[in-house]
Amino acid sequence: MKKTITLKVNGETFNLDVEDRRTLAEVIREDLHLLGTHMICEKGECGACTVIMDGLAINSCLVLAADANGKEIETIEGLAQGFELHPIQKNFVEKGAVQCGMCTSGMIMTAKAFLQKKPHPDEEEVRHAIAGNFCRCTGYVRIVDAVLSSASELKES
Amino acid sequence: MEHFKYVGKSVPRVDANVKVTGEARYTVDIAFPNMLWGKLLRSPLAHARILHIDTSKAEKLPGVKAVITGKDTPFTYGVTHMDQKPLHMNKVRHVGDAIAAVAAVDEETAQEAVELIKVDYEELPAVFHPLDAMLPGAPVIHEGVEGNVAARPSYENGDVEKAFAESDYVFEDTFETPPIAHVCPEPHVCVAKWDHSGKLTFYVSSQMPSLARTHFANFLKMPESRIRVITNYVGGAFGSKTLSRFPIEFASVILSRKTGRPVKFQHTREEEFHYSTLQFRFVITVKTGINKDGIITGRHFKAICECGGYVSHGASITSVAGALQGVLYRYKNYKYDGYAVYTNVPYGGAWRGLGNPPVHFAGEAQLNMIAAEIGVDPLELRLTNATHAGDTSATGALVRSCGLSKCLEKVAEEIGWKEKRTNPRPNHGLGIACGVHFTGIRLPTMPDTDFAEAKIMVNDDGSVNLTTSCVDLGQGSNTVLTQIAAEVLGIDMDRINTIYGDTETCPMEWGTRASRVTAIGGMAVKKASENARDQILRAAGEKLEINPDDLELKDNKVLVKGNPSIHMSISEVARFNRYRENGQAIMATNHWDAPSHGNISSAFSFGAKAIEVEVDPGTGRTKVLRVVVANDLGRAINPAGACGQIEGGVHMGLGMASTEEIMLNEKGGMANNQFLDYRVLTPLDMPPITPILVETNDPVGAFGAKGIGEMALIGTPDAFVSAVHAAAGVWIRKLPVTPEKVLLAMKAKK
Ligand code: FES
Ligand code: FES
Repeated sequence: MKKTITLKVNGETFNLDVEDRRTLAEVIREDLHLLGTHMICEKGECGACTVIMDGLAINSCLVLAADANGKEIETIEGLAQGFELHPIQKNFVEKGAVQCGMCTSGMIMTAKAFLQKKPHPDEEEVRHAIAGNFCRCTGYVRIVDAVLSSASELKES
Repeated sequence: MEHFKYVGKSVPRVDANVKVTGEARYTVDIAFPNMLWGKLLRSPLAHARILHIDTSKAEKLPGVKAVITGKDTPFTYGVTHMDQKPLHMNKVRHVGDAIAAVAAVDEETAQEAVELIKVDYEELPAVFHPLDAMLPGAPVIHEGVEGNVAARPSYENGDVEKAFAESDYVFEDTFETPPIAHVCPEPHVCVAKWDHSGKLTFYVSSQMPSLARTHFANFLKMPESRIRVITNYVGGAFGSKTLSRFPIEFASVILSRKTGRPVKFQHTREEEFHYSTLQFRFVITVKTGINKDGIITGRHFKAICECGGYVSHGASITSVAGALQGVLYRYKNYKYDGYAVYTNVPYGGAWRGLGNPPVHFAGEAQLNMIAAEIGVDPLELRLTNATHAGDTSATGALVRSCGLSKCLEKVAEEIGWKEKRTNPRPNHGLGIACGVHFTGIRLPTMPDTDFAEAKIMVNDDGSVNLTTSCVDLGQGSNTVLTQIAAEVLGIDMDRINTIYGDTETCPMEWGTRASRVTAIGGMAVKKASENARDQILRAAGEKLEINPDDLELKDNKVLVKGNPSIHMSISEVARFNRYRENGQAIMATNHWDAPSHGNISSAFSFGAKAIEVEVDPGTGRTKVLRVVVANDLGRAINPAGACGQIEGGVHMGLGMASTEEIMLNEKGGMANNQFLDYRVLTPLDMPPITPILVETNDPVGAFGAKGIGEMALIGTPDAFVSAVHAAAGVWIRKLPVTPEKVLLAMKAKK
């Protein structure tokens, strides 16, 4: 069955007719063409599809689009201001936290929601925050590093 | 040391910005408005004769556009043995073997149609372990291959039996490593699209787009010019996207031709875990003769590789791992017997390290067992026997550069080997291991070459388009290749546009595989850049009326050596050269075949790992406290990138050591096929990693570079089991080292 929903994504409002069994991740990728939200497992086990919904980092493959009706959603595409990268993005670039890039959007969105709640984390807390985000390439070393240096930068600004 | 501006600098990746913004496009992202989705019907049985296939119901399902079977895909393929078919009509040899394929308007319809295909089977007895498959009377999986041994690669140098007879000690131990998945973040995926000019465009997540074109040109009997293979950013590959062809690729190509519409196939995560080729199971027996002074007198490896239903890379890997093992130490007597064995499990393929991680595991773990047994320091034992530059290995390979001893000394020093072993803490232990890997490889079944190609075009504004034959899989090749071109041409990296992954615009390539891109792909880029540099200097010399030998390229300019006040920008030179009478483009290509003089590889990278663990005697759980890695990578073109490879390699290596294992049920079906039950290590499992880069300036590779991607992993499980032994007093000979195995072994010992 189709449902009409309203999503506010990266500040823009969309009215969409969606099948009620479709997930938010599918709608973000297929209907809104925001392909920066990646999917690796499609069942809530890898964190690649993480977006921020009403301030909380969620696995968008686990949320039905219909249940996101009326919510505010932030995807990776909403982070940079024009050509100016968000500090977390900048740190991922500078620290070498990106290899293949498939986990990157999910890592950055998880980190953003986390740092909003916990601006002064230690390394252990960062590791816990991204524990649900799978990465096959980096061993997480530089990702943890990038999140930690983002924290100190965001704190200063 | 020479002074470089870009080479040796930790620069950010050239593709980092488009990856952190989500703009980078992968093959999984490709969609066309009229695109169809494909699905495969896979065998539910591990070994069966196919009696009848009925696709009529599936064909009638609304939304289904075409259904194909083996009749439509009359191709035979394989890596060394041509024993594979895209869709099987007569027999299936493992659960998941493909039988039919459907193209439909969406994924759900395609899946529904697949379930409507009816297949009658006659089930045959199946076998799920190579040792069982080798027993007399075991089921025959391929007609004519009795005993299921498909290949018997071997090496022999000297007389191991005589050496054993004369040795102070002889040890023999058997080890086993399980099948492991690559777990590519981007699964195997492709889209085939025919147009009405009869041209095929094939989008595929691949490490070897050129080879895909060659293969399909051969299968379809078409000129290569009518096939365009495009590879976008690749979301990880780790060997699984190299020489192997996959049923989904054939199915998309044939179904697209049949329907006249683009057809996309993408492995589900479950398919990806089991059917995207695996690291093969190995059962390895090592017999070692050694004298009291620690000198190894002879070594005999018997390595049984479980290919699965098809040989795939099994024969080549079993061979290569034997050749490489012979390069690690100064073996006076060396024997290697490889067996590539068919069983009814999903077949394997190239997995980071090409069989070298399992064979190293056996050799290195046993060396540590011997050290403990005869009471010598495992570090000293290795230093006593280590290969050095200038050595020719027992397997005939000339080692031109070698930092093996230095790597061993460095990791020992960094982890505090001597002190910690003198004052051991309870339940804590240290382990050490070392290894060798190739930089590029010549496989006996492929043309005898190890080449890469590159093309440089200088634009009017002095910027450069670099077209390369190498694919950036995430390892960062585009960045190091850009650094190399920038270094030679004296121009800024952001003025170089590095283009790859399109057979229509890029030169031919021999694959982003075998840890070969930086050294060999880099050399093609270096030589093409040198050629372009010479053209620039010649043209500038003409214009300035100065001998080109007195000119140099620096900071985007041509300068007079010793008199930098006279200069021309590269843009001025390019425009002068192009727009004068009889103008010319500044353009250069290079084909570089890394000389290996009859060896399997032109260069060997070495490395060592030291690991510290703590084992909980109550639970058997191992906590890794620290990993120190030293890698002889010839030269680090991008040190941060190289360290990233080491960190990722250690992550995968610790997974192989402690958690990762593909499991099958008693009927050969998938027992674990998702992240919840196939445990990849999380950020919480990972210890601090200290990478140390050892530079030996190899005479063959670009700027002295050798490979690192695979060596980064090799030795991790070996050092891990040895650390567990030091902490808990037990040897685990079968990976992964789970808490249960440790606990059981500790109990058995008491
Ligand atoms: S794709 Fe959503 S958690 Fe893996
Ligand atoms: S960078 Fe490849 S999965 Fe994380």
